[in-house]
Parts: sequence; structure tokens; C-alpha cells
Amino acid sequence: MITVKRLYRPAIFASYGPYMIGLAIFLIVPPFLPMYVQSIITKVAVFAIFAMSLDLIMGYTGLLSLGHAAFFGVGGYMAAILIKNFEITNFWIVAPISIVVAALFAAVLGLIALRVTGIYFLLVTFALSMLLASIALKWNYVNGIYGMAGIMRPDLGLAGFRLNHIKFYYFVFLILILCYFLMYRVVNSPFGHALRGIRESESRMRALGYNTWLYKYITFIIAGLFAGVGGVLFTYQSGVIAPQHLGVTVSTLAMLICIIGGIGTLWGPFVGALVIILLEYFSSINAPERWPLILGGVFVIAVMFLKGGIAFHLKKLWNKMFLNGSFKG
Amino acid sequence: MIELRDVHTYYADSYILQGISLEVKEGSVAALLGRNGMGKTTTIRTIIGFTPPREGIIRFKEKEIQCLKPHKIARMGIGLVPQGRQIFPSLSVYENLTMAARDMERGDAWNINKIYNLFPILKTRTRIKGTLLSGGEQQMLTIGRALMTNPALLLMDEPSEGLAPIIVEEIGHIIGRLKESGISILLVEQNISMALDLADYVYIISKGVIEYESKPDDLIKNEEIVSNYLGVAGNE
Repeated sequence: MITVKRLYRPAIFASYGPYMIGLAIFLIVPPFLPMYVQSIITKVAVFAIFAMSLDLIMGYTGLLSLGHAAFFGVGGYMAAILIKNFEITNFWIVAPISIVVAALFAAVLGLIALRVTGIYFLLVTFALSMLLASIALKWNYVNGIYGMAGIMRPDLGLAGFRLNHIKFYYFVFLILILCYFLMYRVVNSPFGHALRGIRESESRMRALGYNTWLYKYITFIIAGLFAGVGGVLFTYQSGVIAPQHLGVTVSTLAMLICIIGGIGTLWGPFVGALVIILLEYFSSINAPERWPLILGGVFVIAVMFLKGGIAFHLKKLWNKMFLNGSFKG
Repeated sequence: MIELRDVHTYYADSYILQGISLEVKEGSVAALLGRNGMGKTTTIRTIIGFTPPREGIIRFKEKEIQCLKPHKIARMGIGLVPQGRQIFPSLSVYENLTMAARDMERGDAWNINKIYNLFPILKTRTRIKGTLLSGGEQQMLTIGRALMTNPALLLMDEPSEGLAPIIVEEIGHIIGRLKESGISILLVEQNISMALDLADYVYIISKGVIEYESKPDDLIKNEEIVSNYLGVAGNE
């Protein structure tokens, strides 16, 4: 009898290859890029965290929110208030307080928004975020329409250690990986399975004895918390936080990032953020006034030809390339 | 086990259940028969709390449940096998089952291994997503999912709908085994021969009213009722 020795197939590479390649690129390449591109890549990481947090409620739970920037903005404003008005510079004090405040806002606004579902949820979240934006616009304590500017890169409280451009990039990228890991754990836990169940049929979940409202509420708070992380990092990255960062433009941007990248995958929003933020950068160099047109065009193309998002098609391509391709994403 | 007393249910202004009274005794199977659009599914939805009744009393394990929310009703020990199967398509067979798990501490409680023993085919599909299952497998998964909540009463809404005859027969056997294990079942069916085989008591609903009730044997003899309300000639 002929026995065929099983050939070595790099199963780990087939399953986790995209993660390895992605990690390698984003760890090795940035130091060789010009400084302004480094800050663009940092912005990609910031918006990836923010869009992933939206994916928790939009992709996994099926709640369409047009007000997610509220928690992004609250996190950012809180950090700016602590730094500028209270003169607290230590990152390890500023960031946790700001993130918790963003989560608290989510806990309060969630009580209001989750009283309704579907299109009404969309409208209520939209209204609440615009309400916060208009408060920020009129409030002198936070500089009203001008926003709060001049925020330096974070002080990590280590003597003699200052974050320069590239170190700040690595710092944000590390937080992105940590957030991804935490959110991945959430969506792949029994709790996460219940969220997908709610997305697919809330009534079925109720018939199985799930208090679906509580699940949605907790997810809303978790998403608010991670949006707050994004907001805090954004304030440090851009050095400024202004009323429009609480409003519908930023919420829509996150939603487009999720849809273009691929909802319900977590790493899809990262791909989406990469595409959108880089496009925004190139358009700001070549044709700044055409940016909304380009964004709209990309969105239409993604919806028409890349149904399911870029992530979905990348995953398909990867699994086709490897016979045993089983990318876990 | 469960008793409905003069239950009236509306969908907005539509008056659907016009005073339903029925009972499922402990450890028995009651069949609710009737043509399409007569209120069978509405009865199920009323019990589980999706469309609560405007009037009437629903008593389960001696407690009134008509004012409770669906998840509270489910937790009291009512499992639902909904019409059209309705598994969670993006979850695997295993995840579909484990997410329903509840009340596992009882000695004779349902757990994943018992479900796989009852439906061996599901064990071979354990990592497969729900959408890739056949109709029969989906139905088995739906029943398994309801059992994982360890219900005292199972509401089954047309479990034979759209399945091949040989699968219907298998589902019938399974329901028989569940009955032997002591679960009470309210079975809504259009497949009359299957329902009459399994049921201890039969109700016929027409236009939101129970028009007839008896033991299955008496119904078989009563050809007039069968042809008037179920639309079939004799014992089909």
C-alpha cells in the first residue's frame, strides 16, 4: 500500500496570515515615511478605533447610529478640558477620566436612544449628538466655535521620555491593537453571539429568554467607551477638538468607513479607515474642494461593486489563494 | 400546565383572537389545527408575549403571565419553535445551541450532548453556519435550540411545514420522544395526520374562535368537522 506523507501546510499562515502581514507592514514601514505621512497613518489608527467601536453597535448588534461622534467628541473634549483648563498633563490621568466620561455619556444617552428602534433610533442618536455639538458651540468654557487647540502629544510621565512623531504613532498603534483585541474578545464571546442573534432577530432572542434591551444597552456603553478612546487619541493627534467633531459629519464618516471597509468584521473598519483617510489626504493635496465628491464616489463604488465591504472581498481572495485558507476575521 | 381563558388579541385594529380558551395538561400534547389565517400563529404569539392579549387570562404553572414581557415568559419555562424555522444564520450550529442554554443545573436537564444524541446529524454539522443546513436540519436545530432552554412547555408552530415527507416522519418521532420525556407541547399544525398521531387532545380554530375540541379519535370519526374546518375529506 502506498502511503502518502502529508505535506506540510502552513495552516497558521492560512488562518492568520493577513494579521501577520498587516502587523509587519504597520510596524516596519512607518519610520521610513515622511513625517507628515506618519501623522496621517496615526490618524488612520485613531479612526480605526472609532469606526470599530461603531461596528460593535452597527455591524454586530444591528443598531444604526448617526450620533456616535458624540462619544468620540466627549472623550476628546474631556481630554482637552483636563489638559487646558485643569492643566493636568499626565496621560495616565487624562485618558482614563476622559474615556470613563465618554462611557457615562453613552450610559445616559443610551437610556434615551434605546427607547426606540430602527429609523427612530437613527434620528434620536443624530439629534442627541447635534445637541451636544450645539452646546459646545455656545459654551465659552470650551472656546465655543473655535474649539480647543494647542494640545501637545501626551506626556506619559516617564522622566526624560518624550513622544516624537514616530513614537506617538507606535503608541497609538499599540492602543489600536489592544482595543481590537478587547473588542474581538467581546464579539466572539457568548455575549457577542447574543448580539448577532439580536441583529438577526430580536424577537427570537426574546423567545429564548434574553433581555435584549439590556444587551443593546451594555453594547451601546461599550461602544461609547471605545469611541471615547478614539476621541482622546484624536485630540492628541490633531492637537485640536472642535464642535464639529461631536456632530453628524464625523458620525457619517465613521459610518462610511465601516460600510466601505466591511461591517461586522472589526478589521473591516481598519481597512476602511486606511482607504478613506489616505484618500482624504491625497485629495487635500490635489483637490481639497473636491473631497465630498470623491468620498461620495468611493461610497457609491463600494456599495455597487464591493458589496459586503473591502474586508469581505479581501477575505474571499485570501481564502481562494490558499487551499486551506480559513482566515479568522 | 398552561391555560388560556377567554383570550382576545388584536393586531392594531384587527380583531384576531375572539375569545380563545384552551388548555395543555402537564406531560401531554395538545394540537391546535385550522386553516391558514385562522389565528393559530397569533395564539402562539399571544402566549409568548409578542402580541399580548387585550383581554383574558393566560395561566402558566398557576401564575398569570399575560402581562409579562416575552423574555420573562420564556424564562418561566416556555420554549418556542417558531414557524419557518428561523435559526440564526451567521452563527454555527454549536453557537445556535449554546446561546440558548439555560437552567442546566437540573440532573435531567438538556445539554449539548443530549441534543446531539437526539439529532446525530447536527453533531456532524457542529461548526457549520446555520444558513448552510438543509430545511430538515434547520428544523432540528430550531427544536434543539428550544430544548436547550429546558422548557416545561414547548410551543411548536408548524414544525412540518415545507419539509419532505420522510423528514416530517422523523420530526414526528422526535416530538413523540419529547412527549415521553415529560415535556408538555402545544403543537400548531396543518399536517393533520401527524398532529392526530401525536396529540392527546385536539382543538380546531376558525376565524379566531375555537370551533371544536375533542380527543383525536373522536375527531377522526367526525367527518363533517374535518371537511368543514380543515378542508380535507375524511382521515387523510
